[in-house]
Amino acid sequence: MVESFFDKKTECLTIHVKGRFDYSCHKAFKEAFTAVSKVKSYEVNLADVSYLDSSALGMLLLLRDHAGEEKAQIRLVHVNDAVIDILKIANFHRLFDITE
Amino acid sequence: MEQVLTILIADDNPSDRILLKAILSQFGHNVISAVDGQDAIDKFDPHTIQLVCLDIKMPHKDGWEAALEIQRIAGDVFVPIIFLSGVTDPIALSNCLRIGGIDFISKPYSPALITAKLNAIVRLLVMQKTLEEQRDAMSLYNEQLLNEQEVAKVVYENITNSNCLKDPALSTIHYGTHVFNGDVILAAYKPNGGMHILLGDFTGHGLSAAIGALPLADIFFDWTRKGFLMRQIIPEINARLKGILPSNMFCSAAFIDIKVNNKSIEVWNGGLPDLLFLPQNANKPVKLTSKNLPLGVLSPDAFECQIDPMSFVPGDRLMAFSDGVYEALDLSGQMFCHSVLNPLYQGKIDADHSVDWLVQQLEREGVLENPHDDISCLSVRLDTNIGIDSAEHKVSIGHDEAPADFSFEYVLNADSLRNTDPLPYVLQILTTVPGLSSFSSQIFMILSELYSNALEHGVLKLSSDKKSSSEGFSLYYEERERNLANLQEGYVKISVKVTSDNNNRALILYVEDSGSGFDFQGVNYDISNTELLYNRGLALLDQLCSKLEFSKGGSAVTAHYHWKVGQDDRAT
Repeated sequence: MVESFFDKKTECLTIHVKGRFDYSCHKAFKEAFTAVSKVKSYEVNLADVSYLDSSALGMLLLLRDHAGEEKAQIRLVHVNDAVIDILKIANFHRLFDITE
Repeated sequence: MEQVLTILIADDNPSDRILLKAILSQFGHNVISAVDGQDAIDKFDPHTIQLVCLDIKMPHKDGWEAALEIQRIAGDVFVPIIFLSGVTDPIALSNCLRIGGIDFISKPYSPALITAKLNAIVRLLVMQKTLEEQRDAMSLYNEQLLNEQEVAKVVYENITNSNCLKDPALSTIHYGTHVFNGDVILAAYKPNGGMHILLGDFTGHGLSAAIGALPLADIFFDWTRKGFLMRQIIPEINARLKGILPSNMFCSAAFIDIKVNNKSIEVWNGGLPDLLFLPQNANKPVKLTSKNLPLGVLSPDAFECQIDPMSFVPGDRLMAFSDGVYEALDLSGQMFCHSVLNPLYQGKIDADHSVDWLVQQLEREGVLENPHDDISCLSVRLDTNIGIDSAEHKVSIGHDEAPADFSFEYVLNADSLRNTDPLPYVLQILTTVPGLSSFSSQIFMILSELYSNALEHGVLKLSSDKKSSSEGFSLYYEERERNLANLQEGYVKISVKVTSDNNNRALILYVEDSGSGFDFQGVNYDISNTELLYNRGLALLDQLCSKLEFSKGGSAVTAHYHWKVGQDDRAT
């Protein structure tokens, strides 16, 4: 399940993913970040993710692409144990700001 | 929703039959009349009749019997049956529905009720027809899709399997969740002996995942065959995948380069679970962790190649698997990496049988029956004969080849030494010589030995002593990288001369470097002497060439290679 919240003051879009983060979230996740314009930074909350697969990594790359690749300001926050391992193996800390 | 139906009505009572026919005809429907059950069966054609109305009580088969027979004739075609009845007995009426009738009309007929029921049936028929058309279109589409997939699969397998996976040193497993597998295992012999192996796992499954494997395999095989190095091939694959894949797709992969000349491996891991190096003399495997982003994520300028070098003793093993293994769930719902794989990580599994062991675990935990992800694993028994005695190198030798007579000189100064690998280009020119292409593996081996000696010991002034231990080995390569990156001056000159004299052909390779030379008098050419690690290269050269001459105090060397036309013996 994907929920999103845009803070107009800070221009930060928070995307909260819950449960399994896999291809089934693809549409909702993409809609969450394409629906809002003028976003300065992104925060993806992974606290309630029970599982994350490679298509989820692909979606994060899609977001990064959308947010301007190297210029993108994307934080992955509340990354739990189930997820940190997979992000580490993929070396995603070189692309995203990751906090546990 | 108006539609003209062809309706079969059967009633033995002429006045009821005529009345019903009159009512139905009034609405514009075509009506076919039958006088009893048997007559109805005879007149029924599922392709022209869309609705059947049967009186219950008739001679020569009653309505129920006729209904069963008509349904049998109709087969897959849906033709609704309505019973006509003067009886009001609930059991008799419910029997009509039980045997497959969709409704009943009581006598005496009420035109208003018949109209309403007919409208309902027309709606039902239209819906049924739409469903049937969609079903037929779907099954046709599915059939076409499967056909196309089969064709694509043949092409895909031809491209991704044109390799040496059958080499006895390799054990692999490969299970896909779809017709197409998003995991690839590629292996190819290098022209100078040894092997390149790639295990890749594309995002997702099925065709969309497999499609990226085509350019990957293409570059892997082509560039390996041409003698390019791992650190040249990986950035090329990355750049190609980045260019063609959508941004949410990438390939987690491990690239393994087995170098038989100096008994070492180099491993590049980008996004795969730890590779396991299992030395015989250690009780725990060494983990080779992913230090790179997967292929196809970074743009070519941002891409870096973090490689782990290791030295091996024949019999050591290297194991790699995709995340389909690592993240597989055991029967208790735990991921393999936290449960089943522990004994492997702790070194409690016999390295020679680790793949069989893994298959047993996957079977026992029910993963293979219902895999959620493509699963692949490879294990390679490292040895110095990999890619040396392989059948691929036994090429037949041409009996009539045109004489060749040419020479060229290739001088690389500091900037070019830093940025280029000249060998594939030199080899490419040499293999244009008819006949010489059959010996390309030997020539590449001679060339690469001469060049790496000139570059590493001559120009970069590295000492081979360091390579004697495994840490020393990594240190040696770190120093090589560092010295090369900081190289300001120096050169390597490669001179090539090919001559023909009747049936005798000769290749003379002269390699000179800017270094200070070395004590070439003291070289031990005994190839069986394994203690002298750093002389192995020269001993090998001595075996391959008919003559090996040093000059300029050891900073220049000439290798003579001879072959004969129309003779099956290798160079003498």
